[in-house]
Amino acid sequence: MGVLPGHVPTIAELKPGVMTVHEGTDVSKYFVSSGFAFIHANSVADVIAVEAVPVDHLDSNLVQKGLAEFTQKLGSASTDLEKAEAQIGVDVYSAMNSALTG
Amino acid sequence: MASTAAVPFWRSAGMTYISYSNICANIVRNCLKEPHKSDAIAREKVHFTVTKWSEGKPEKPSKIPTLNHQSSVSIRLDLAGVSCAGVGLS
Repeated sequence: MGVLPGHVPTIAELKPGVMTVHEGTDVSKYFVSSGFAFIHANSVADVIAVEAVPVDHLDSNLVQKGLAEFTQKLGSASTDLEKAEAQIGVDVYSAMNSALTG
Repeated sequence: MASTAAVPFWRSAGMTYISYSNICANIVRNCLKEPHKSDAIAREKVHFTVTKWSEGKPEKPSKIPTLNHQSSVSIRLDLAGVSCAGVGLS
């Protein structure tokens, strides 16, 4: 989803992933852990996230290890809650992985 | 008339949005490079001060120190007669 001035007022729930900010010709990428984006009628947009870090603050070794660990947990999970937690881990690590390699 | 919107997998497993969001945030925090990682972990340390009330009067407050934010999200307090005051951020 792209937001330009004049965007229709929106409330969007964000999935773990990359948010790209363009300031003139400067482009900065942030990885957002999850959260919401509010686009207001006066063309102000707020992004609310518990963690939003520049993509180059992420350590790709830790991401790879985590992805392998949670993929394995997903395979061996038994209760619904364990499956959900493992799935969340897989989703977040995969998103970080794409952010680093994309 | 029930709505047919799809429920996210974590909600159907009994998790709330806030737990989901905090789990995601913890995962991201653990994948940071130093020094950002220690900064983030230190920033997110919380403790709770709980005051039980009886007959309209507060009793002596007690602290619940938490090691990480994720465990604090799963604290469920019996809210009848308890006030949770002064969430401290170190």
